[in-house]
Amino acid sequence: MVETLVNILILFIGASVVLYVILGGADFGAGFMECFVPKHLKAKQREVINRAMGPVWEANHMWLIILVVILFMGFPKAFGVIVVSLHFPLVALLVGIVFRGCAFTFRHYDAIKDETSQKIYSFFFSLSSVWTSLWLGIIAASLTRGLLTKNGKDAFEIFLEPWLGVFPFVMGLFTLAIFSFLASVYMIGETKDEELKAYFIRVAKRLNISLIVIGGLLFLSSFLEKRSLIQEFLSSGFAMFCLVLATLLFIGLWIRIKKDSAWLLRVIAAAQVSLILFGWFSITWPHLILTKEGAMSFYQAAAPEPTLWQLVMALVIGSGLIFPSLIYLIKVFK
Amino acid sequence: MSDLLAARLSMAFSLGFHIIFAAIGMTMPFLMSIAHYKYLKTKDENYLNLTKMWMKGVAILFAVGAVSGTVLSFELGLLWPDFMKWAGPIIGMPFSWEGTAFFLEAVALGLFLYGWNRMNPWVHWFTGVMVGISGFASGIFVVAANAWMNSPQGFQIEGGEIVHVDPFEAMFNPAWLHQSLHMQVAALQAVGLAVAGIHAYLLLKKKSKEIHQKAFVIAMTLAAVCSLLQPLVGHFSAQRVAELQPVKLAAMEGHFHTSSQAPLYLGGIPDPEKEEMVGAIAIPGLLSFLAFNDFDAEVKGLKEFPKKDWPPLLIVHLSFQLMVAIGSFLALVAVLYFFFLYKKSFPPWFLKACVLLSPMGFVAIEAGWVTTEVGRQPWIIYGFMRTSEALTNIPGMSYHFYIFLFLYLFLGAMTAWLLKRLVQHYG
Repeated sequence: MVETLVNILILFIGASVVLYVILGGADFGAGFMECFVPKHLKAKQREVINRAMGPVWEANHMWLIILVVILFMGFPKAFGVIVVSLHFPLVALLVGIVFRGCAFTFRHYDAIKDETSQKIYSFFFSLSSVWTSLWLGIIAASLTRGLLTKNGKDAFEIFLEPWLGVFPFVMGLFTLAIFSFLASVYMIGETKDEELKAYFIRVAKRLNISLIVIGGLLFLSSFLEKRSLIQEFLSSGFAMFCLVLATLLFIGLWIRIKKDSAWLLRVIAAAQVSLILFGWFSITWPHLILTKEGAMSFYQAAAPEPTLWQLVMALVIGSGLIFPSLIYLIKVFK
Repeated sequence: MSDLLAARLSMAFSLGFHIIFAAIGMTMPFLMSIAHYKYLKTKDENYLNLTKMWMKGVAILFAVGAVSGTVLSFELGLLWPDFMKWAGPIIGMPFSWEGTAFFLEAVALGLFLYGWNRMNPWVHWFTGVMVGISGFASGIFVVAANAWMNSPQGFQIEGGEIVHVDPFEAMFNPAWLHQSLHMQVAALQAVGLAVAGIHAYLLLKKKSKEIHQKAFVIAMTLAAVCSLLQPLVGHFSAQRVAELQPVKLAAMEGHFHTSSQAPLYLGGIPDPEKEEMVGAIAIPGLLSFLAFNDFDAEVKGLKEFPKKDWPPLLIVHLSFQLMVAIGSFLALVAVLYFFFLYKKSFPPWFLKACVLLSPMGFVAIEAGWVTTEVGRQPWIIYGFMRTSEALTNIPGMSYHFYIFLFLYLFLGAMTAWLLKRLVQHYG
């Protein structure tokens, strides 16, 4: 029974991660896109971002909270290790989340819209979007490096070693690339302005290429960790399948990108990113975290059965409430 | 600063900061929906403007509440990993429901903020109400989790391991009802009062009188009704604390020696060395009555408990007295308010008093939380786990504290500035 419950929870974890990345991630990417937009398109792009993201802004970030709740209630042993060994990056992440959440809303709801304050909000929004994406990637990579530990001896072992390295940093960049790629593709269909649309298409293509390049770097940098991502992917049929399919979908994306098929493009981009996540998930399976003391699987980290029951029930009933309202939200605004 | 103190201060500041926005998040949507309802019924433009003004406040304050809440969901683990590892499976249930409610709140808020002219007006109105209802529900869930720390149940310990976990029993622990009642009424009361204060200020400045008159009446009526209810709820809470955590009650009241006809102290400072209250006015028998509805009831004193289990007496006593003093005073203000409402005119001095009183509800909320949280010390889970045992083994907690202190001060100042601009704009 416990195993079935854990499996259901794993599905919910997977769904929350995927939804956080393909919905919330795009919001991060939009912040990054604001950094390099040409001056004459700045105001127009900001308008599109506000209109597209405003209604879903808060909802998109709830997936992270759901994820944290599932982890500490359902997998307390792993959560205990994560919060201790990743204290530093988690604090950095939280600082970013605070600035981002505020900057975006303040920019839109400041009653007096003067240029200076709008500029400051935008600056913080972009900066914290980039900052937070990097840390999200670093944290994701750190879970699988085998360097997490609750028993660090000195400051280096406690604060830095679990996450400091080229590989996590490249993962941070990769995350940023994924997020901004999603944002650029999503935004193509959000505007009727031809110039802006052409700009989004150009950006989407460039980000697509950078995604592939950084993905390659990620494989290379894994050698620095004395592991081989290539080997890991090759040894799992499912992971390979995901990786190949995600890459093939790029062709479809490039063919359709100039055609007027906003939703198809969005679905393709979201599918690609989901496949990458599935692939990543399957090479670490069935481990939730890798620590210095050894690997900890979902099943080892799980809470007692009654707790798992309650959590599954809460999630099932919660989904019954959340998904219809979320779909209604999207229907009203898209 | 010791790591334990730094971690406790971090938690205190994070909670103390978040609670303000949480209270606003579960009250403002109701005020907003009342104004919106009146607009839909009467088509009076004043009500529409009021709805939109309050809506902008809600948007700003919700964002701050959401991010500070996100920080808290992590911080529980970052600061107290062993507490979370231990308590997570037992008390995770209200958190998972809180997550659900918070999610619905976020969706409803998106619909309400951006849904003008896109939906049926009454459906749109309902999304505003839903923001309030789900915010209110998440408040109850979170307080239920806190209540469990005061009256833990729903598990057994065998050989150092937690067994027989019953999350349902843990959530509906003996303290959940009085704590959530007390907090939810306090939230409505404090936010109503603060909003009324802002509009009283604008009324005094004689700017667009009608809209602020309407706003003042909506907000102050809510605050006044709750101010009359709150002493009853508070009384109920004190009785529950007397039963569930006698040492906390003794610390709140500065009650050292077990006695029947126990006196209630007004003011004064507890002296732990001499084991007596200094400089307090004692009302004989009143504490016995308040705690057990009987002037002759025996009330346990601090001396019944080992000194290592005493909470910090001075803080608990003073914060409790402050909360009660504000609460009692606000009940009087409520009576005055209904008198003037009946007379259909508010004299300027009363409006001025409302302006001065506007932050008092929040002060009382903070004082109340200090009472219950510091009053639970030295325990993080009353009777089961000491706060010091739950502390993370990570050094340098003072940096954690300074980072978040700075962050929250900055954010608080920003929010105040934005609200000032909002008031200026609509003034």
